Amino acid sequence: MKPAVFSYSAPESIEEALGLLAEHGSEAKVLAGGQSLVPLLNFRLARPAHIVDINGIGELSYISSNGSLRLGALTRLTAVEESGDVSSGHPIITRAVSHIGHRAIRNRGTIGGSLAHNDPAAETPALLLALDSEVTARSAGGERTLSAQELVGDRFFETSLGDDELLTEIRIPALAASSGWGFQELSRRHGDFALAGVAAVVTMDGGAISSAALGAFGGAYAARLPEAEAALVGAEAGEAAFAAAGERAAAEFPTTSDVHGSEEYRRHLIGVLTGRALAEATSNTGGENG
Amino acid sequence: MTATQSTGWIGVSAPRREDALLIRGRGRFIADVSPAGALHLAVLRSPFAHARINGVDTSAAESLPGVHGVITADDLEGIGAFPTVWRLPGQKECHTPALAPGKARYVGEPVAAVIADSRYIAEDALDLIEVDYEVLDHVVDVEAALAEDAPVINEHMGDNVIIEYTFPGINALGVAGDLDGAFAEADEVITGRFRIGRYSGVPLETRGLVADWDDLRQTLTLHSESQVAHLLRTELAAALGIPETSIRILTPNIGGAFGNKWDRYPEDILVSLASMRLGRPVKWIEDRRESLQATVHGRQQLQEWQLAVRSDGALLGLKGRVLSDQGAHLHSVGIGPAWVTGAAAVNQYKIANYHCDVLGVATNKTPNSTFRGFGGPEAMFGIERMVDKAARKLGIDPAEIRRMNMIGADEFPYFSPGGAVYDSGNYPTALAKALEAVEYDRLREEQAALREQGVRRGIGIGSYIHVSGFGPSAILGMLDYYTGGYEGSTVKIDPHGRATLYTGMIPMGQGTETTLAQVAADHLEIDIANVRVVWGDTDQTPYTGFGSAGSRSNVAAVAVIKAIEEIKAKAVRIGAGLLEADPEDVAYGDGRISVKGAEEMRSLTLAEVAQQAYWGHKIPEGDQPGLEATYVYDPANFTTAYGTHVAVVDVDVQTGKIDWVKYVVVDDAGTIINPLLVEGQIHGALAQGLGGAILEEFVYDEETGQLLSSSLMDYLLPSFTDLPDFEIHHLETPSPHTEGGFKGMGEAGCFPAGAVVANAVTDALSDLGIEVDETPVTPARLWGLINAAGG
Amino acid sequence: MAETITVVLDVNGVGKEISVEPRKTLADAIREDLGLTGTHLGCEHGVCGACTVLMDGEMVRSCLLFAVQGAGAEITTIEGIGDGGELHPMQRAFSEYHGLQCGFCTPGMILAGIDVLRRNPDPGPQEIREEMGGNICRCTGYQKIVESVQAAAAEMSKEGVSA
Ligand SMILES: Cc1cc2nc3c(=O)[nH]c(=O)nc-3n(C[C@H](O)[C@H](O)[C@H](O)COP(=O)(O)OP(=O)(O)OC[C@H]3O[C@@H](n4cnc5c(N)ncnc54)[C@H](O)[C@@H]3O)c2cc1C
Ligand code: FES
Ligand code: FES
Repeated sequence: MKPAVFSYSAPESIEEALGLLAEHGSEAKVLAGGQSLVPLLNFRLARPAHIVDINGIGELSYISSNGSLRLGALTRLTAVEESGDVSSGHPIITRAVSHIGHRAIRNRGTIGGSLAHNDPAAETPALLLALDSEVTARSAGGERTLSAQELVGDRFFETSLGDDELLTEIRIPALAASSGWGFQELSRRHGDFALAGVAAVVTMDGGAISSAALGAFGGAYAARLPEAEAALVGAEAGEAAFAAAGERAAAEFPTTSDVHGSEEYRRHLIGVLTGRALAEATSNTGGENG
Repeated sequence: MTATQSTGWIGVSAPRREDALLIRGRGRFIADVSPAGALHLAVLRSPFAHARINGVDTSAAESLPGVHGVITADDLEGIGAFPTVWRLPGQKECHTPALAPGKARYVGEPVAAVIADSRYIAEDALDLIEVDYEVLDHVVDVEAALAEDAPVINEHMGDNVIIEYTFPGINALGVAGDLDGAFAEADEVITGRFRIGRYSGVPLETRGLVADWDDLRQTLTLHSESQVAHLLRTELAAALGIPETSIRILTPNIGGAFGNKWDRYPEDILVSLASMRLGRPVKWIEDRRESLQATVHGRQQLQEWQLAVRSDGALLGLKGRVLSDQGAHLHSVGIGPAWVTGAAAVNQYKIANYHCDVLGVATNKTPNSTFRGFGGPEAMFGIERMVDKAARKLGIDPAEIRRMNMIGADEFPYFSPGGAVYDSGNYPTALAKALEAVEYDRLREEQAALREQGVRRGIGIGSYIHVSGFGPSAILGMLDYYTGGYEGSTVKIDPHGRATLYTGMIPMGQGTETTLAQVAADHLEIDIANVRVVWGDTDQTPYTGFGSAGSRSNVAAVAVIKAIEEIKAKAVRIGAGLLEADPEDVAYGDGRISVKGAEEMRSLTLAEVAQQAYWGHKIPEGDQPGLEATYVYDPANFTTAYGTHVAVVDVDVQTGKIDWVKYVVVDDAGTIINPLLVEGQIHGALAQGLGGAILEEFVYDEETGQLLSSSLMDYLLPSFTDLPDFEIHHLETPSPHTEGGFKGMGEAGCFPAGAVVANAVTDALSDLGIEVDETPVTPARLWGLINAAGG
Repeated sequence: MAETITVVLDVNGVGKEISVEPRKTLADAIREDLGLTGTHLGCEHGVCGACTVLMDGEMVRSCLLFAVQGAGAEITTIEGIGDGGELHPMQRAFSEYHGLQCGFCTPGMILAGIDVLRRNPDPGPQEIREEMGGNICRCTGYQKIVESVQAAAAEMSKEGVSA
């Protein structure tokens, strides 16, 4: 389990990195935390001819918040998890990130890498979908803004980034004051990729739900659950509404199967976890972010 | 413990001498053995479950810079393969070849090997080998393999049945039961069909080898992690066609073995041969993917049982059929584990009437062979689930039905219809103690109260026996097991009175070095610091054909005691001469040789006598100079460790997830040498038992024959949060069959774990009528049952 | 011969210049080029934690880093803990509380245990289990490792040592 031969460069600026990506095109792979890419290299399941190691690019690593949150793509997951700026405005991110692997993985793994890898069982893509995030992608030719949906939506282990593009920033809008969140996942072991999971953000108007965003993972791809969301709008928060939403969520979830669980089981789990995430979300609205 | 101490070394938690290096990262594991100039070998493995190999083109690989050679099946002219040591009557031979000859029979089977300057380059070269595979139909399910039209994996066998072995239910006294009578008398016949999952030891350190052929001396030094180095030496010499005297096997630290490293493997031949042909040291370190594909798997069985019971709860008769999913080849122990399943299935119960057919069946999977527990946990799964089913059917408490059928403390030796002789124990007491420890009655009340609140709590009981200390060798011979069950030990006292002990045992984490030193110190009545233990060098240590297994240090300990008895007797004879006393009046005690009754006045230290022994000036008639002895101990009979476990779990019916509430063990492993280490062994074995109960499984894709669990992302080892805290209680019934009263202790923890979990989960879901009859009990599998039951 | 790169690795306070292919993992370089074989390889895909080292004080998997990425960092391996020949309290506790059997996971476990205490000097058993969940031990069943870490915590607070 040793990687195949590759050549290596370690640019120190975004510009330099973009130049290298332009030069090597589809032959190149960006190396961020390496927590997904290096296992693939060791198994020789990925064999890029060239590695562009972006770990030396200090300008890619930052957390800044003024209600909405901006995360540099190279920000380590541990930094996100421990950030007061993140937990005060977006505690759902803190919680979700704590589910990613283990401490040693998060010490290296980056938020951008996690998103760019787009593992359908990963927390990050579904979370960022539910949070209506957007990202900046840059290439030697310029810069573009994509919604999380445009980046990862309906995709399995790939994104809409071009070979020459670098993900540089993730932006997450502020949550409404009357919103609450829930995050529920089931995994085989603590720290494993999820069997299934749901990130929920709801906005309340008195006892009624005025809007809901649900991001589901553990299926064929990270997905929003629009049918379930629609069913919640205007509904009174409570068991009946959650169960109805759960049923729709299960039905629309792009399920999949692997050694750990069948399509049917995962579909069922999404229903259960949707209900639990909604119960959690509606119980912590208005800033009680437990 | 005082700084120096001469007595009482048995039964104390002496600190492990193994630790000093290991906690500093200074252990020397196989990957750390790097002779100058070593080349690196990598193995090309079949990507197909079943494929004819029509040609192997190695030219591109051979011309890659840094590559020194490629070995294919064509290069193995004159080279043999390892035999199966357990050759039951009627067993068709299909042992594991060194390289797949013309046909690959499982994913991961070695097809070729490359030797290069580094592992990196060797893997580059593997990519360049072109194999012309003709993919054949495969079969990975044991029942499908028995079908009329199933692909035949080993053509010469005609079909996939390797052996059909019958346990006729005649006990060790030759008394046959009356099975038909038992079933005729029965009020109920309970049936069960169990699928026990395929999993294995998966040591954290993979296998590895370093071979170093010296062309001038014509000797092969092999650094190997084999648990049975001498047997490897014997079989390797035969396979390579070189004298056994040319081979020296050295054992480094072993990073876990769990039976898997007991077997001989194709790589033992390939790496040795590569070094011989190239005249350079050759190193091979198995990587994790290879390890999951090509280190032996274990356990997998499909069992069908029928239990005849009377309405009062008496267990009258048991009959069964065990299909052992052997994989593509027989490995070192053949169908041995399944044989043990058949022998142990009546467990602690007085079931006088018994019959079991054991079938070894070939499938296109990795060979199923030695793994901690060796058929015992499989047996316990079957019987302990059956007993629970009977209890439920008859409306008797599962603890009570066990108690009333257990062999009584006064009924030993007990001749079981499985053919084994149980030596000693107090089964009902162990059960009672376990129930008391969990507060069984209170638990049942609490369970009912929680059920009202929607919490599904389940209580699972599992009792077990563990037949260990295999021997005497003559019995192994009668069982067609072609190696001995003895262990030897050499003890040498140096002229300063310190002891060096040579053992064929190989420490793999159990602390063997420490426990054997404790036994020696205790019996020589000297401080443990004055005992050195030498292991891991076939040039120095006594031959063992059985080698290290989790439960063998008991046999080795007796060999140490016996050798020391000889040394003490000789010291007394020499000492008597020096003390000018009649040997009858001289005794050994407290590390001294003294005239009885005059210990203060007329006494010599062991060192003083030893010095004399080596000077040789005053050696009694009939004795030789020196002070050493070798004793080869062949156990008088098997020993049976036993106990009862109780698990308490909560089940989330919505997700199928299980949470631990409590886990209690009551265990009797006879006399305990080191309580702390025994506890460690129980914890570790239990962790493996529970791993197989809830997480670990080698999953094969029926469609493609691929092993889906070929990374540790898919083959799930239990981690910190997956296991409960264990509460351990001991009984200590010394075995009458062994000197010292030791029984095997390294494996028992895993025996009932699967059954206990299945029983607990079944209990938690009793109102849904679900029976958990398949392991591992994964959330997905359990939810499937719940869903099917409408829960 | 494939391209090689020269890097200086600073491991346990000693800098050494090595020349490696970019594909060589940090773990292999530590073991082969620096001869520090206490860092073990159990999986080479990030799951087991046997290869754990500290990089600038943070616990990382050395099988998922390349040696060339180690340049400029302070790396600590099992051979570098403790205080000049003196064992670290975590090492002593593992031995005393039987937190190891075969010892293969132990270097990684000890470093992970130190890392847990660095963040919380007095963790409870459940916290230890969760925080150390990324390290696999196949021998002990973990309970004695948890006890070892707790004992080390007690010892360190008594001695006033910080992790
Ligand atoms: C044992 C273990 C357990 C894990 N458990 C989980 C888990 O439970 N949940 C989970 O979500 N993940 C888990 N992971 C994966 C981990 O979270 C990874 O860190 C993460 O998925 C990838 O982030 P990275 O920075 O390490 O990316 P890398 O591995 O460096 O890269 C991943 C991919 O993204 C690309 N990439 C990275 N950064 C950029 C960028 N800025 N622009 C463009 N492309 C980029 C790379 O080219 C590569 O294709 C686990 C990993 C391990 C080893
Ligand atoms: S070897 Fe690095 S995590 Fe297993
Ligand atoms: S002590 Fe053997 S793996 Fe932990």
